[in-house]
Order: sequence, then C-alpha cells, then structure tokens
Amino acid sequence: MSQLSESIRGLGASGPLRRMPRANVERIATVVVLGWAMGFMLWQGAGFTITLTTIFAIWAILAVSLNLVVGFTGLLSVGHIGFFGIGAYTMAILASDASYDQLRTESIPTPDWPFFAALPICIALAGLVALGVGIVFNRFRDDIFVLVSFGFAIIAFSFFLNLRELTRGAFGIHEIPRPAFGSWALDGEVEFLVFALICLALVVLICWLIVTSSFGRVLTAIREDEEAIAVFGYRVTHFKLAVWVLSAMMAGLAGALLASWTSFIDPNSFILLESMLLIAIVILGGLATIWGSLLGAMAFVLLEEGMRFLPFLPPEFVGQARQVVLGVLLVVLMLFRPQGLVGRYRL
Amino acid sequence: MSGQSWKFVLTVVVGLLLTPLALACGGGDDDEPFRIGVMESATGPGETYGTVAIQAKQMAVEEINAAGGINGRMIELIVEDSKCSAQDAITAYNKLTDVDGVKIILGTSCSGAMLGAAPLAERDGVVMFSGLATNPDIAEAGDYIFRTSLNDAQLGVDTGNLLWADGIRTLATISESTDYAEGVRRTTVEQFENRGGEVVGEERYASDATDFRTPLTKLLNAEPDALHIAAQSEFTGGTIVKQVRELGYDGPIYSEIVPIGTTALEIAGDAATGLKAVITDIDPANDKGQDVLSNFREKYGYVTLPWYLGSAYDDVYITAECLKQTNDDQDADGFRDCLYEITWSGAIGDNYSFDERGEVVGLTNVVVEVLPLSERNEDNNGYRVLGPAPSS
Repeated sequence: MSQLSESIRGLGASGPLRRMPRANVERIATVVVLGWAMGFMLWQGAGFTITLTTIFAIWAILAVSLNLVVGFTGLLSVGHIGFFGIGAYTMAILASDASYDQLRTESIPTPDWPFFAALPICIALAGLVALGVGIVFNRFRDDIFVLVSFGFAIIAFSFFLNLRELTRGAFGIHEIPRPAFGSWALDGEVEFLVFALICLALVVLICWLIVTSSFGRVLTAIREDEEAIAVFGYRVTHFKLAVWVLSAMMAGLAGALLASWTSFIDPNSFILLESMLLIAIVILGGLATIWGSLLGAMAFVLLEEGMRFLPFLPPEFVGQARQVVLGVLLVVLMLFRPQGLVGRYRL
Repeated sequence: MSGQSWKFVLTVVVGLLLTPLALACGGGDDDEPFRIGVMESATGPGETYGTVAIQAKQMAVEEINAAGGINGRMIELIVEDSKCSAQDAITAYNKLTDVDGVKIILGTSCSGAMLGAAPLAERDGVVMFSGLATNPDIAEAGDYIFRTSLNDAQLGVDTGNLLWADGIRTLATISESTDYAEGVRRTTVEQFENRGGEVVGEERYASDATDFRTPLTKLLNAEPDALHIAAQSEFTGGTIVKQVRELGYDGPIYSEIVPIGTTALEIAGDAATGLKAVITDIDPANDKGQDVLSNFREKYGYVTLPWYLGSAYDDVYITAECLKQTNDDQDADGFRDCLYEITWSGAIGDNYSFDERGEVVGLTNVVVEVLPLSERNEDNNGYRVLGPAPSS
C-alpha cells in the first residue's frame, strides 16, 4: 500500500510533470485543451459546437469573475451561484412575456421589458446585494468566510424557491426573450453566441485591467498576507469589498445571459452543487490566472458534454457514468496538477 | 519549449484531431434504422422516473425490433440525460438534433426540462412527446409538444372533488417545493375551496428535508379533517406518512402517486394503511398493461411507478405506429399530424387520443387505498383501486 502511495506521489506532484519547466506544462495544457476543442468541433460539426461554446461563454464569465475573488484575492467563496441566480431571475422577472394568468400555475406580474433595459438592472442588483452582504462578510476570513458564503448560496436558493409571488417558485419562469436591437432580435444561435462571446471578452478585458493595475497588485498582496498589507496603510476591507462587488456584477451578467439563452429558469439551476462545479472549474484551470479560468471552463464543458458520446455503455447508465468519469478525472488532475492547468498558486 | 516537448504536443493534437474523424467515418446503408431521440433524467432529482422511462422504452424497442421492426426497418433509440434541468435539456436537445439529426424526441420526464427544450422544438419543428411530464404549463408549449401523462391540473381537480365527496371540510396540506408537488397542491386546494372547503394550514419543505415533525405538529394543531401530502420524492412522501402517524394523528391522509410508490410504502410501513391517493393507474383488467408490468419485472427485476412505466412504453408503440405511416423519421410534420389523428389502446388505457394542445384525452385518474401491510404484494403494488376519480 505504501509502495502504491509512493508511486502515485512519484507520478504526481513530485513526478515528471512537476520536474518539467512550468512554462512547458502550461503550453502543453493550453495546446491539448485547444486541440481537444478543435477536434471536437471537427467531429461534431457546427450546430452542437455553437451550443457548447455558448455554455462555455457563460461558465467562463462566471469562472473568470470568481477567480478575481478566489484566485487573486484569496477569498474562497462558494456563494457565487447566488449572484448568478440574482442576475438570471432579475432578467426573467423583468423581461418574461408569458401570460401566466392563462395558466393554472402561479401568476406573477410581467413588466415585459426589453433585454437591454433589464440587463443593467440585473448587473446592478447583483452588485447591490453583493455590497450588502459584503459589508457583513468582510468581518470574516478563511474557513469562516467559506461557511458564510455557503450560507449566502443557501439563502439565495431559498429566495428563488419560496418567493413565489415574484419568482413563481418551483414552477420557474418561461418565455424570457433574447436580446434585440430594435426589430433585430438575436434569435439565432450564432447571433446569441457572438453576443455572449462579446460579453465574455468585455469581462476578460475588465478583469485583465484590474489584475494588471496597482489595485490588482494590492489584491494579490491581500491574498499573500492581509495583515502585512494593512500595515502599509491600505484599507484592506475596501479592496476586498470592491472586488467582491465587481465579481458579483459579472456573475449577474452571466445569469442574465443564461436566462435569455435558455428562455426558462427555475431554482434547480442555482443549487449549491453548481457552486461547487464552478469552484472546480476555477481550480481546474488554475488560480490567479484569467487564461486558466478560460481553459478550465473549456475543459469542463468538453469533459462533461464530450462524455455524451461514450459508446460502450447501456443508455440508462450513460448519465451516471458521465458523472463518475468526470469526478475521477478531476481527482486525477488534482493529483498530477494541484495548481490546475496553468495555475500559479494553490489554495 | 524544447524540441521534444513540441513533438509531444504535436502528437497529442494530431491524435486528437484524427481519432474523432476516424470514428466519424462510418458508412451508411439502405436499411438504416429509424433514429428516435430520448431525453430523460438519468441523473438528478428525477432519476427514478427517468430510469424507469428509459428502460420501458428500451424494452418496447427490443420487442418491436424482434418482431421485424417497422416496414422492415429497426428502431434505434439515442438516449440523452436531461438531468431534470432546463439548461441540460437544451444541451441534450441540441446534441440530438444537431449531431444525431433526430426529428422526433421521446421525453422528458421532468417538466422543467420539457419547458426548457420545448421552445426550441417548436422553433425547429421537432416533435417532443413525453410520457411523464405533468406540469399544466406544458399544455400551452406548442404545436409539436405532446404527452400521454395527465395534466396536474386534472389531478388537483379530482383530488379536490374526492375530499369534498368524502365529507372533508377542513384540510391541511404539506407539499414539496417542486413544480410537480406545488402544482398538485395548488390545484387541489383551488378545487377544494371552490367546493366550499377551508384550508386551515399549509406547509412546504425543501427536497432534502428529512424531519417533518415540526411542520406536521403545526398543521395538526389546526385540527384539520384531513391531511393532504404532495411529494416529489418517495423518500419524503413515505417519511411524512410515517412521522405524522408517530405524532398520534389517526385521521385520513390523502395524496398523489408518489407517497404510495414502492419505496415510500416501504418507508411508511403500516402507517400508510388506509391512505387514499388519486393516481393514474394501469387497470388490472387491462391484459396489455399487466403483460408490460410482468415483462418489465422479469427483465429488470423490479417495478415502480407502473403507470408512468406503461406510459413511456406506449409512447414507443405510438411512435412505431406513426412511423409505419410516414416511413420517415425526418418527417416531423407528418408525425405530428399522425399524433393528432391517432386513437390508441395500449398499456395505460384504451381508445385514448390527443387534443389540439397535444394533451392526452380519454384517460382518467382513479382513487386507490393503501392495503394493510400483510396484504401488500408485488401484484397489487400495495393498494387497491376504489374506482374512477370524481372529475366533476
């Protein structure tokens, strides 16, 4: 048994991968994931690729924004899914044009706003809620911060489920419209994908500006030693609050995109498990690296959706097998690359 | 990067590119099977229903293929997991339509997943045909959306009528916070109140709850004539029945199908005796239905949710009948028209058809009563049918 443990350790963190120069490993990881994506695209054709790329864009916005908090600032938040849900539900409530009074289920008012009128509200409301909870959360650090962010995710889910007069509870909200510029609605999948990628590019740009600025360097310093940076006169709580709110606003944007893309949301899309998957994506790609979050999201989508094509299992077991294989692959990756594909820092 | 590293990277990338292309190079032939998509919850909250539905459909397809197929062609099911979630249903839908090129999809087992994928199906002219989704909103989902499962709204109306007919005048309800359970509670209460009844207490619980003593105590303090349970999972349904009896309540309990499922009755034990439920059930006199259950038990070693099992099974045979007419699995419009025209007799009933909203007509709910523990067995599923549910 001990020999086995030694062998695993030898293969993993202290093995050949560890001895390879970091830049080489990162390049290999990048090329493998991108090559994998290209291969998948060639294999499956444009239609399904568009769907997967749209999912990637939404998850990548979430991962990049969460990396600001978890990777760059060192605050392990598992509550990001709450802000994602706030963005999605705000879009759904403001923009849905369903005539619920004709149905037998819960009826809610439908203001029927256009997508672009609702979008700023989605982002602002996520930021506002983040500001409120952030003022309280700033009092906590390390393990306690994880617990309170966990609590936030639970509270947010409970709101989505139980505030039926606003969210329709378990019935969900449907007929959420796509973005439209005047009479030109982005109804096509390609148009929506381009829009989602533009949003992702904007989020990446903003994150890049943040992490390469003096503000970003302070965040990194907070992660390394919060007390030391405070000694130099930096108001640590303000920096943490600012990045927390910015990150939540980006998650709100991702939520609005999800609601519009799926046209239907219910509380099941915002359960705690989704938060855990999000953390897994960030760690899989690598902490404190924007490129890592993009790669992590891409690898995750390819892993999860790629396994729809497992050819050797009875159909009723494919679903379960996908989850098992995904879990095993994540464990193996953490064994060999605990800092993620292109990570610079470990939790 | 060293030369060796580049060679490694190049090998990996070329391998990744070529492997799928090689896999994709399959030859077609003139006797290609009819390809039908299946979207069910193989994982997630609806796993029980989804797995039963997949297995029932597989069994039906094996029977049809063993008998020579449809017009000499076999049926091939392409199964995707929709995980009881709108987002995953959309991914599964796009995989089935874009990659596999199917135009007819059987599923889904969860209403949320159905409502997520239905707008896409409506836009693309793809038929979605569910045997299990019961949310009332699906009735308005579009021209290509059909189901053999009965709308929850009817279930609620029938339950409200039954309560009133049984002399219940005050009611307490406890329901799981899911679209199905909440839909049943809502329509039941609406009908009960329309008849003149009064709801004296309402409690809801999250799907992961395990202890219901506090909400039940609160409900019992209101001294209702009866308790109504609407659950999504058999575990919670069975546990509520058990715990309410442990609290000393000996009044009547009413429910929908979940609290009388096999697992729920195992959990509740004798506490469930006398529980009345309004359900869709396979008629004991329906030989076809009983054969299906018997064959399913022989093949898979268990039976649960028998009506839904039969519903999923019938969907495949209805599909086969329509494919016999259209002889083209890409002709979704022809298939849709066939569904509007068809009258079917199968495992779940005789002479049922579909109305202009794709809703099944000609099937009714029944009232059942759970038997004492000593009388429950595999053949009676633990309950006896009292008669048709009072629908008006």
